[in-house]
Amino acid sequence: MTLADLVARHQIVISAGSGGVGKTTVAASLALWGALEGRRAVVLTIDPARRLATSLGLESLGSGERTIPAEHFRTQGLTPRGTLAAMMLDQKGAWDALVERHAPPEARERILTNRFYQHLSQSFAGSHEYMAIEQLCALAESGRYDLIVVDTPPTRHALDFLEAPRRIADFLDRKIIKWFVRPYFSAGWSALRAMNRTAGFLLRRLEQATGIAALAEISDFFSSMSGLFENFQTRIDRAHEILRAPGTALVLVSSPEEQVLGDAEYLSSKMSALRMPLKGVVLNRVHAEFRPGRRGRDEIGPEELEHVSELLGQTIGAAEAGELAANFVDYQALARGESLRIEQFRGGLPRGVPVVNVPNFSRDVHDLASLAGMHAYLFASRAAG
Amino acid sequence: MIGAALDRRLHFVVGKGGVGKTTVAAALARLLTRRGRRTLAVEVDDERRLSALLGASGTTGTPTPVAPGLAVVAIEGRAALEEYLGLIIPVKRLLSTIFSSRIYQYFVAAAPGLKELMTVGKIWYETTREEGGRPAWDAVVVDAPATGHSLQYLRMPQAARDTFGPGLVQREAAKVVDLLRDARTTAVHLVTLAEEMPVAETLETYAQLKDPLAMPVGSVIVNRVHHRRFSAAALAALRDAIKRAGAEQRALLRAVCERAAEESGWSDINAAHLARLRTAIRDVPIVELPFLFVEEFDRAEVERLSRELEAAGTDRAAVSALGP
Repeated sequence: MTLADLVARHQIVISAGSGGVGKTTVAASLALWGALEGRRAVVLTIDPARRLATSLGLESLGSGERTIPAEHFRTQGLTPRGTLAAMMLDQKGAWDALVERHAPPEARERILTNRFYQHLSQSFAGSHEYMAIEQLCALAESGRYDLIVVDTPPTRHALDFLEAPRRIADFLDRKIIKWFVRPYFSAGWSALRAMNRTAGFLLRRLEQATGIAALAEISDFFSSMSGLFENFQTRIDRAHEILRAPGTALVLVSSPEEQVLGDAEYLSSKMSALRMPLKGVVLNRVHAEFRPGRRGRDEIGPEELEHVSELLGQTIGAAEAGELAANFVDYQALARGESLRIEQFRGGLPRGVPVVNVPNFSRDVHDLASLAGMHAYLFASRAAG
Repeated sequence: MIGAALDRRLHFVVGKGGVGKTTVAAALARLLTRRGRRTLAVEVDDERRLSALLGASGTTGTPTPVAPGLAVVAIEGRAALEEYLGLIIPVKRLLSTIFSSRIYQYFVAAAPGLKELMTVGKIWYETTREEGGRPAWDAVVVDAPATGHSLQYLRMPQAARDTFGPGLVQREAAKVVDLLRDARTTAVHLVTLAEEMPVAETLETYAQLKDPLAMPVGSVIVNRVHHRRFSAAALAALRDAIKRAGAEQRALLRAVCERAAEESGWSDINAAHLARLRTAIRDVPIVELPFLFVEEFDRAEVERLSRELEAAGTDRAAVSALGP
């Protein structure tokens, strides 16, 4: 299978990987390809570079989707047979919208100003990831698109994204929530004594010592939210389902740097455990190694380089010629290290997973034309193993 | 100029994912050690790359020596909190009951930034700890977490001081804030790349450190900078030579030309974004570290970067002595 087949056969493509590998650009490029091929495509993006955002029509943060106008494509020399929309995830706004949609009107204000809620929506591990999935579900259910490409939040390990529904589900465990909304609980710590004398005593000491009155806030939060959680659990189950649907493909984006590839390896090994097979890999910012291929050897020897220096030395002087040759040698070393690591990485992937290399463009990729320029690399390679 | 910031005791190395922040933290730790300072390198959460780059086989919550004058420690918020609570409630058996209860899990998850606060608190503790009447460490280098905004950690003590009720946490948070803001002790080093997104985030971080946080920025360290070593005329001559070359050499010359064009392109991008940085940030040294062309990045490269960091610091001081 090729990456082209993969994108053609799936309705949802999730672009996952560590921060700083160009995930956002790859996601935008995949969605653009879908649009050019005649699909109704949308890209859900997290934190695009300003100029990329502008070229996608996302000048300002907003929760709605924006369709890129046809003349915008025309000025870049592109003629899509389908359509392309883009949407930027506003994490805090998305949580607030969820509360506004599901919470009873009289409780909204109390929830939105609750410190526990604010903490949960801003920094609880997995909450940003969960909101991305929530948005993905809404787009999938809208029926307006037949290709949804999701750029995932920058996490150290992309696993956080896939595990977000489970984490939120654990956190919002109904048994413990029921316990928290018992009316006596919000009355204060003394109520705890009835349940567990020792723990109650110690927690009370703890609260006194630290000055953190967290439990009362949690209790208040869950009391305000009661009734909302039945609904919530259904949504979490739905998110779980969508992530594992046969029409969903997870594509890993990585750079050939050691640390990043190490993270990618770890992710791919954990994926099967989550019953979410890795379906494709994009290696971004790869340096190509030059291999002459002829004369039965594929290394560049010092005599070839000397030859280059000589050849150039006649016109530009030995010093500059030497620098150009040295620069070439530098890039060859870089490329050799990368290709060794990539080879090892590919060996550890499940059979048949397409792997494509995208070169390290020495220019910013920020308009539709340059996103389309990536297609030559994304959609021109063979499967691994 | 970076020389002056190097004399401080507490160094936070911050930056977004993928800019080489951990590498720079390791290089900084090596540089300080070489200067004869007893240095503690701190990694936060379950990151283990800093210690690996410094040659440690593993790290724990207790400082472990890895070389003469250099130790590493891993600080994890939850463990730091448990350690801290152990000081408040010295009943070990009962504490373990608390730690395993669901209410405690909620307490940790819910108290705004408690884990981050405890992490910074533990760093404060190591920075101010004394042994035999003198500070235990001459320098503490923290590889701050990259996930999301590394500022989340630095912001926490202030948030805690302002939002928690009177109590132990508030008092201790105030002490930590004082230390973090003290320009005689603390330096925040911003690691970045000379590219669009990293520079945008660095400028934002820099502004936040200045205004609401009031924390001293020690330097901006621009990592992986390309400097073209050949002229544009040479590149043009190379292009001409390809046309004249025989089939035998053409492929090789073309490859040489492509790499030269790539190096040239990155040099231009880097120069443009460096200019952007230098226009916006004028009161802190901006130090450049070169892009290293190596097959594999290892401890030797960390050593090389630490020498570059040292040299860049000296050059910069010499330049600034000449005036603007």
